[in-house]
Amino acid sequence: MEKIKNLFQTYRQAVWRTQRQWIGLVLILVVVSVMVAGLYLNVTARTALAGRSIQAIREQITENELVNADLATEYANLTSTEVMEQRARTLGFRPVESNELIFLNVQGYLPKPDFRPAAAGQNPANNPLPPEYTESLLDWFGRYLVSSPLDGAQR
Amino acid sequence: MNAKLAWRYRITQVGTALVALAILVQITRIQNSVQAQAILDDTYRYEGEWTIFYPPRGEIFDRNGKLLAGNTIVYEVAVNLQEVENPHTIALATSVHLGLDYATVYDQITNPGAGVVSLVLDDYVSPDRINETKKLMDSLENETSGLGDANRPSLAGLTFNAHLQRSYPENSLASNILGYVNRELRGYYGIEEKYNDQLAGVPVTAWVPLNPNLVEEAPEIRPSTTLVLTIDRDIQSAVEQILDESIGTYGAESGTILVMDPQTGDILAMASTPRLNLNEYWNINDIFPGETPFNRAISQAYEPGSVFKILTMASALDAGVVQPGTIFVDTGIFTYGGTNIRNWDGRAWGAQDMIGCLQHSLNVCLAWVATQLGAEDFYRYMQAFGLGHKTGIDLTGEISGRLKLPGDTDWYPVELATNSFGQGVSVTPIQMVMAASAIANKGQMVYPHLLKTIVQDGQVREITAPQIVGWPISEATARTLSEMLAISLENEASDALVEGYRVAGKTGTAQIPTPYGHYDFNQTNASFIGWGPVDEPRFMVYVWLEKPSASIWGSETAAPTFSRIVQRLVVLMDIPPDSVRLQATTGP
Repeated sequence: MEKIKNLFQTYRQAVWRTQRQWIGLVLILVVVSVMVAGLYLNVTARTALAGRSIQAIREQITENELVNADLATEYANLTSTEVMEQRARTLGFRPVESNELIFLNVQGYLPKPDFRPAAAGQNPANNPLPPEYTESLLDWFGRYLVSSPLDGAQR
Repeated sequence: MNAKLAWRYRITQVGTALVALAILVQITRIQNSVQAQAILDDTYRYEGEWTIFYPPRGEIFDRNGKLLAGNTIVYEVAVNLQEVENPHTIALATSVHLGLDYATVYDQITNPGAGVVSLVLDDYVSPDRINETKKLMDSLENETSGLGDANRPSLAGLTFNAHLQRSYPENSLASNILGYVNRELRGYYGIEEKYNDQLAGVPVTAWVPLNPNLVEEAPEIRPSTTLVLTIDRDIQSAVEQILDESIGTYGAESGTILVMDPQTGDILAMASTPRLNLNEYWNINDIFPGETPFNRAISQAYEPGSVFKILTMASALDAGVVQPGTIFVDTGIFTYGGTNIRNWDGRAWGAQDMIGCLQHSLNVCLAWVATQLGAEDFYRYMQAFGLGHKTGIDLTGEISGRLKLPGDTDWYPVELATNSFGQGVSVTPIQMVMAASAIANKGQMVYPHLLKTIVQDGQVREITAPQIVGWPISEATARTLSEMLAISLENEASDALVEGYRVAGKTGTAQIPTPYGHYDFNQTNASFIGWGPVDEPRFMVYVWLEKPSASIWGSETAAPTFSRIVQRLVVLMDIPPDSVRLQATTGP
């Protein structure tokens, strides 16, 4: 029994050493906690900044859409029939009479194509975001495997 | 360490732990208190807001891409009451720049009522006026910000929210076709009402977080539908100008002109009086008093008179009852159903072939032709021409006119004779154009329409193929009658003729029925329907002048109007003279 007691005594840490270990452990926990908290704060702050950025961009998009619509109408106002006729008359032009026209037979002439509005093809569904903005790492890896010409690389 | 010191440490440890525990308990208690829940609720309330997103109303273009209806920026002027520093300045500025009543605004701001945090002072304010107010706002801020005076002039709290309103760059051009949109964003009349749902789009209600950490994917707002019409802006403008000049020259009360491609049914122009500046739609009751139709071309039926004879002749030719060379001896009177039918001039024109009957517009001859055809066949043909029914044109407000049929309580046998020259039957201009398209287009009657292309969700749907709504007559009949009408105009040396271009057509002078069951002999409806070039029609023109005072005759009012329109059409549509065109077709 005494031998066993001596054996424990032999391998027991000194009190001050045990205290230092505990202090070290607590300090490590504190440092790790501070690091995690710092990282969290950093990520949160960046997320908030990105969120604000998104909000600002959305507002800008909305404003741009309004301005675009307004400018298109303004352009139409400036080129309206009444305005253009007035400008033409001021410059000394007059409507041409049918008997003043000379028609030429031009081989291969193609009439101008029908008008197609700018709104055609503007559906976001027709212009999806590139996969870099939407896919996960696994998606990317799957796409890489499918598209990667492995057989080509082996040649 | 002695026992006393250890005891003190123990006490300090326990005390600190108790304080920490107390803090934790208090934190937990505060966070779960009723007041905390109220604060949280407030937080959620201000975390974002439910917003309705209205897609911009779809644009309307003419066939060449000229904008007929778009959108322009206007502003809502509001006051954020929590930020107001000087109500007097706001009331003064809005009264000077926006024309609002000073006392009303001042009272609204100073006595807003319980729970009111924001006030809308005005809406649909133009950017010019807003810019003036903003300049004043900036200058006040710069000049008085350092004064520190609680009563300093300030427009703080005044906000301007931009949004779109409908705008029509061409003002009144094609107004009878387009219709308008009011401030509740609802379309009235014309295309705006007919396609209101498509043009307005689908509003989306979505939660918009103000907290940047809660930003979510933006709601998908489907863009509104964009429409491209068959109208040609330049042709429409020319037609409206000529219509206005003709009304002035001939002293007509009103008028309507329709221009259609008879091969496709594309309406190229549709002019009617009066017209409304669509940007000032609130004047509609002044411009269209009482029962005045918004678009006479589709909403006003009338007895067309002699232009109707082309349908009678088409039916008789198609049924084989008469041939172009069939001779009718006109004695100046034809008795049918107990009523004497006479010519427009009361004369007897003697022996006339069918071309002569059309050329001289003989009521007696056409009444005889109709009786040869018989009531059953006559009305069968008229129904095949679509009379008595709406054409279905894509505009709001179309009416069907009236074609009395045998068996109707108010139909009498004499109607067969009078209907043959356009009396006792009422039609709209668009019905006449659709019916006559069968004659110009090889017997095929086309559906008149205004919509050329729809753009929805980025997808383009073009309406290219003409829609045939019937074959009331054969191709041979159509060609024969077109030729007869062209010859009749040439023989008559009609004012409708256009140098270099062969056209077919028919005048009409219709007496106007009175409410007492008789006809007014002093007032007429003058009409002309024609098309050209005869061998390959590119245009069909219908002119209707109501109650012209300079002359009651269609040949002296509507026919020259038709000629003027065609002279502009051949330029605007790049149609070479017949000689040039045929030379190009047949080669050198």
